[in-house]
Amino acid sequence: MDIKILFLILVPLATAFLIPFIDLINAKLRRFFVLLGILLESYLIISIIINNFQSLKKGDFFLQYYLGGWQPPIGISLAMDGLSLLFAVITALSLFLIVIYSIGYIGHHEGKYYVLYFLITAASMGVVLTADIFNIYVFIEMLTITSGALIGFKRSQEASAAAIKYLIYNVLAGLLFFLGVLLIYFNLGTLNMADISRNFASLKSGIQLFISAIFLTAILIKMGIFPFLFWLPKSYDTAPSPVTAVLSGVLSKVYLYIFIRIFWTVIGFETLVSLNLDILLLNLALVSSFLGHLFALQSNNIKRLLGYSSIGHIGMILAVIMLNTDAGFYGGLLHIISHMFMKAGLFVACGYLLQYTRSHAYRDFKGVGIRNRSVFIAFILLLLSMIGMPPLLGFASKWYVLMAFLESGSYFGAFIVIFGSLTAVIYYLRYIAKGFEEVKLTEADLKEEIFSRPLLSVLYREKIVSFITYAYTAIIVGFGLGFRFFDLPLRMSIKSVMDVEKYIELVLGG
Amino acid sequence: MFNNLIFIILFMLGFYALVMKTNLIKNVIGLNIMEAAVFFWVISFSDVGGEVSIHKLGEEVTKFNDPVPQALTLTGIVIGASTAALLLTLIIELNKFSGTIDREKIEGLND
Repeated sequence: MDIKILFLILVPLATAFLIPFIDLINAKLRRFFVLLGILLESYLIISIIINNFQSLKKGDFFLQYYLGGWQPPIGISLAMDGLSLLFAVITALSLFLIVIYSIGYIGHHEGKYYVLYFLITAASMGVVLTADIFNIYVFIEMLTITSGALIGFKRSQEASAAAIKYLIYNVLAGLLFFLGVLLIYFNLGTLNMADISRNFASLKSGIQLFISAIFLTAILIKMGIFPFLFWLPKSYDTAPSPVTAVLSGVLSKVYLYIFIRIFWTVIGFETLVSLNLDILLLNLALVSSFLGHLFALQSNNIKRLLGYSSIGHIGMILAVIMLNTDAGFYGGLLHIISHMFMKAGLFVACGYLLQYTRSHAYRDFKGVGIRNRSVFIAFILLLLSMIGMPPLLGFASKWYVLMAFLESGSYFGAFIVIFGSLTAVIYYLRYIAKGFEEVKLTEADLKEEIFSRPLLSVLYREKIVSFITYAYTAIIVGFGLGFRFFDLPLRMSIKSVMDVEKYIELVLGG
Repeated sequence: MFNNLIFIILFMLGFYALVMKTNLIKNVIGLNIMEAAVFFWVISFSDVGGEVSIHKLGEEVTKFNDPVPQALTLTGIVIGASTAALLLTLIIELNKFSGTIDREKIEGLND
C-alpha cells in the first residue's frame, strides 16, 4: 500500500480542475499553479524512486494501492512495477519539459490550454499505473478527447479538419477497445489484468483470436501502424508545436505501453504465437516502418515529414519488441526513450524555427538557420541523432535495435533499420542545406515578420523556448555518451514484462 | 440471437453513415449509432431475465442481472456523449471558416 501512486494521478487532475478557478481570481497566478503542479508531481516520482531504491536495485520493485480499500480481483487497484515506473518517469519528464516550453509558446487562451494539458498528464499517468483493463479504456478516451481538443486549438480551418479526422479515427478505435473489454468481462467475469491473465489461456481459441484481433485493431489505429496510418501526419502538422511534441513524444509511447501490457501481461505472448498473430504483426510493423520512411522522402513539409518519420520509428520499435527476446526489448525500450526525447526536441525546435516562416513548407525553410544559429545547431544535433550519428543517443538505441534483429535472424528488420537511417540522411540533409541558404529580406518583409510572430516578440518567452530546445539537445548528447545509465531501469522493466507469473502473484497476493 | 442480429444491423448502419455519407454531421450520427449498437448489445447480453441488483438486507434473491456491464456502459455513454459534443463543436468551427460541412469540399478532409 503506497498512497503516493494515487497522488501521481490526482495531482495533475486537481491542477487541471483548479486552473479555471484560479483564472477567475487572478490570471497571473495561473503559471505559478502550473509550476506548483509540476513540482509536486516531480517530488512524488523522485520520492518513490528514493524510498524504494534498495528494491529497485534488487529488481523486485512493486507498489500497489487499492482504491477504496477493495482488494483485487474485485476492487480496482493501481500497480507500479518496473515497466510502469520506467514509463511514468520518462512521460513525466517529457511532459514537464514541454509544459515549461508552453509557458513561453502559447500566447492566447492559456488557461484552457493548461486544463487540457494537465488532463493529458493525468490520463497518461493513469494508463501507466492502473491494473484494471477498463480503467485503461477510460484513460485512453481521456487522452483522445483532450488531445483532439488540443489539435484543434489553433481554431483555423486546417486545425479543425485535422482534429475531426483524428477524433473520428480514435473514437472508432476506442469503441473497439470497449467491445474487447466487455468481451473479456463476459467470458471471464473479471476486469483485473492479473486475473484475466491467469485465466485467459482457458478460453476457446476462437474467442481468444476474436478478442486479440479487436484489441490489436484498436491499438494499431491509435499508434498509426500500417493499414491505419493516414490520419497521423495531418494532425501532427496542424497542431501547435508543443502539442505535436506531446502527441509524438508521449502519446505514441503511452500506446506502446498499452500494447506491451495487453499483449504480454494480459493476453500473453504464447497465445499470440499459438494464434499465428506474431509473424503477421512483425511484418505489419516492418511494412509500416518502410512506408513511413518512404512517405517522408516525398514530403515537402517539415512537420509532416517528422510525422512520417515517427510512423517509421514506431513501426521499428513495435517490430523489435515483437521479436520477444531480451535483446529485442532492450533495444525497443531504449529506442522508446531516445525517440521520445529526440522527436519531442525536434518539434520543440521546429516551434521556435517556424515562428519566422510563412508556412511549414520546404521552400519557406530557406534561411531559417542563418537567423537563429544556436537553435538551428541544436536542431541539427537532434536530426543527426535521429539519423543515428555515433556519439548521440539515437545511435546507441538504433545499434541495440539492429543487434537484436541480427541476433534473432530477422534480416528484413535489420534492413529496415539501415534503410531508415539512409533515407533519413537524404530527407534531413535537404532541410539542413535549405536552412543555411542565404535569403535577402527587404525592410517590408522584416516589418511583416515582426507582426506575424507575436509569440516570440517578448524576450523572456524567447528565452524559455530556446532554453527547452537546448535542454533536449543536452539530454540527447549527455545520455548519448552515458547511455549505460539506462541499463538498470531497462533490465528491471524487461524482467517485469517477461515474468508474467510474478506480476499476477504480486497484484493478486498484495 | 435476436439481439445479435439487431446489433449487427445497427453497427453496419452506423458504419455506412460514417463511411459513405459526406455530410460531417451525418458521420457523427453514424459514429453515435455504432456506439449505441455496442451499448445495446452489452446491455441485452448481460440481461439474464433476473431482477435489478438492488436489494434490502435479508431479502431472498435467486436470479439477478449483473450490474457491472451496466456500470461500464454508463461510462461508455458519458464518453460517447463528450466525444460527440467535441466533434460537433469542431464541425461548427469548421463551418465558420469554410462555409460548408460537406467533407468532400473541405480541404484537409477529402484525401
